[in-house]
Amino acid sequence: MSKMRTIAGREYAQVVRKKSFVVGLLLTPIMMIAFTVLPALLATQKSSSTEQLAILDWADDGTAEQFTEALADYRLADTTVPYYNVQGIVKVDADDLERQQFVRDSLATYINDESLRYFLKIGPNSHLIDTNLTIVTNSDNIRSLDRFERELTDIVSSRRLAESDVNLPVDSVLSLTRNLNLRTEDTRGESIPFFVKYMVGVVFFMLIFIMIQTYGVLVMRGVIEEKNSRVMEVLVSSVSPMQLLTGKLLGLGGAALTQVGLWVAIGVVIFFLQGPLNLSIDSSIATIVFNPFLIFFFVAFLCSGYVMFASLFALIGSIVNSEQEAQNLYSPLILILVMPIMIAFVVVQEPNSTLATTISLIPLFTPVMMTMRLAVLAPSVEGLSLFSGIGGEAMLGLLIVIVTGLLLVWLTARIFRIGILMYGKRPTLPELMRWVRYS
Amino acid sequence: MGLLDIDSIHKVYDEKVAVDNLSLSVPRGVIYGIIGPNGAGKTTTIRMIMNITIPDRGEIRFDGKPISDAFKSRVGYLPEERGLYKKMTCEEVLLYLADLKGASKADVAGRIGHWLERMELSDYRDKKVEELSKGMAQKLQFISTILHEPDIVVLDELFSGLDPVNTELLKDVILDLKRNGTTILFSTHVMEQAEKLCEYLCMISKGHKVLDGSLSDVKNRFGTNSIHVQYEGDGAFMKGLAGVEAVREFPTYSELRLADAADGNAVLARIIEQVSVRRFEFKEPSLYDIFIQMAKVDPAELQSEPEEVVS
Repeated sequence: MSKMRTIAGREYAQVVRKKSFVVGLLLTPIMMIAFTVLPALLATQKSSSTEQLAILDWADDGTAEQFTEALADYRLADTTVPYYNVQGIVKVDADDLERQQFVRDSLATYINDESLRYFLKIGPNSHLIDTNLTIVTNSDNIRSLDRFERELTDIVSSRRLAESDVNLPVDSVLSLTRNLNLRTEDTRGESIPFFVKYMVGVVFFMLIFIMIQTYGVLVMRGVIEEKNSRVMEVLVSSVSPMQLLTGKLLGLGGAALTQVGLWVAIGVVIFFLQGPLNLSIDSSIATIVFNPFLIFFFVAFLCSGYVMFASLFALIGSIVNSEQEAQNLYSPLILILVMPIMIAFVVVQEPNSTLATTISLIPLFTPVMMTMRLAVLAPSVEGLSLFSGIGGEAMLGLLIVIVTGLLLVWLTARIFRIGILMYGKRPTLPELMRWVRYS
Repeated sequence: MGLLDIDSIHKVYDEKVAVDNLSLSVPRGVIYGIIGPNGAGKTTTIRMIMNITIPDRGEIRFDGKPISDAFKSRVGYLPEERGLYKKMTCEEVLLYLADLKGASKADVAGRIGHWLERMELSDYRDKKVEELSKGMAQKLQFISTILHEPDIVVLDELFSGLDPVNTELLKDVILDLKRNGTTILFSTHVMEQAEKLCEYLCMISKGHKVLDGSLSDVKNRFGTNSIHVQYEGDGAFMKGLAGVEAVREFPTYSELRLADAADGNAVLARIIEQVSVRRFEFKEPSLYDIFIQMAKVDPAELQSEPEEVVS
């Protein structure tokens, strides 16, 4: 027991005392923000220069002029500069196919040399035939395309109205048929935007992924180093392989927890100092994150998931001779760890679907998946229980991960005690099986 | 009963017998050598003593009891392949490894200075292990082997890779340890070293024990059928002399082994006829000779190093 503590102590000190620990402590949150929040911010960022348009109009029914007029109302943020500039409306006779083609081609060349961003093709009777209205562009600025669609809908609707039997002013009909913005709120009356839930889910996912991967690889690297420097033989003459393995897992796990603990502490300090620091933290983010239920399971899944994966990393370290050799073996492990991100989008939308529930109960996926589901569900469910609903599933998941973790530690220990003293050719699978059975 | 008793241990690797029914007994407080050529099974034997490799059958007892975890704290082990944590300082490594042996931190801290000085490493106390030369790292590892004051020290190929000065230094330290009651078990393939150091020995070849016992017993058993001749001229003819069984040539002399009934004086008379003899001496056979004779091995298999010449 005391020998295990000695080993854990060294492993812990070796990591925490290093400069790279401080760097990782600061850099990881920055990277995480860069990878999750920044793309979202950039996607919704406002354009800073006027976008150039042209219209190819072979209907000549006034649509082109109405559209130009409607766009004139848009301004670049905080300026009086117009957002859109319609460079010109080219009118072509509906029957002159040759000229239509010619104008179309020349407008296309302008788009390609970027002197034009869009052109709108208007065919006859566009209020009856949708396909006669087409925007040609090589960029997908969702915000602009949304506006074009809305403005053109209004124009087309008013034309349809004029041709119908309804005898009412256009504006009143349009306001009558305007879409409503359906507000959603959960049973507690909170309204948390989808993208906030998604973001928080992904951040928790990333936290667990980064911690398990970083410290798992450290466990493996330590074993390989001790093998290569041949200090291993001295070690096993002083301690048992099991003491060595558990000491390593505990020491580096402790370092991982220290890192997370410091992050949480920094987060709490920032949260309470947001006034003086002149920051505004989205209250919905705070509602999700500062949830004891979520934090408990986050820490529990981080620890149990770490044991599960780190013992596999230790197993790999014990049967290889170099880190290059290890790479082939551990990349699938990292793939398994990161794979659930592919369905993260679906899980955040439908956290209780059969797919999400099933995958979150597969041991190797449980830590990241269950934490993500909890991040989405926990803030909205009232009266969370550890025995039913998502709380019950999380407990079941935790139990599964703990049992799997213990099994993997046992399996690793069987192979570890032999592997650490073997050099040269990597053992084959049948050999590994023999080591497991060997008394 | 010795301090360490090995009772018919046997180890087979993939149908190759590494150690074959080996028994030996290491008395308390002696320097004991396990001697044999490379591949004879020395390291396997030592690894079994250290409980790193488990024998297929047979038993190893320390102080009368089968070896267990308690043994680990009472032994110091220097493996054949040396190595320490490169990124730790010398002092940290020594403290850590002694800590793993369960030694008291205060005791060890007090002894570190003494041993670093004795091994001429005082200036490196706070330097990282990677800054040491190979020889210095070996001496540091030797300190880590004895720092917790074990009852028995197990040294696998102790002198490999050491220069003559450091070899002498370690020999002195080992003699001191023995004087203080520590039992020393070491292995070597260099017979001349063993001859100078050990009081008890066990010769093994291809996993078998060839012979064991105290050095003087072993030598007495083989009588004085060895002759050292120092001469000027071409000594190649000696191989063909009647009564001479084997000749080993060294830069300044030759070592002749006589047939059992041969007359040494007659051999001398025939040598004098052909070369001018400076010195002629009857000697006890060297361990090398005994080994060749007993193990019936081809001398080429024995990577023996010639005796150091002290002029």
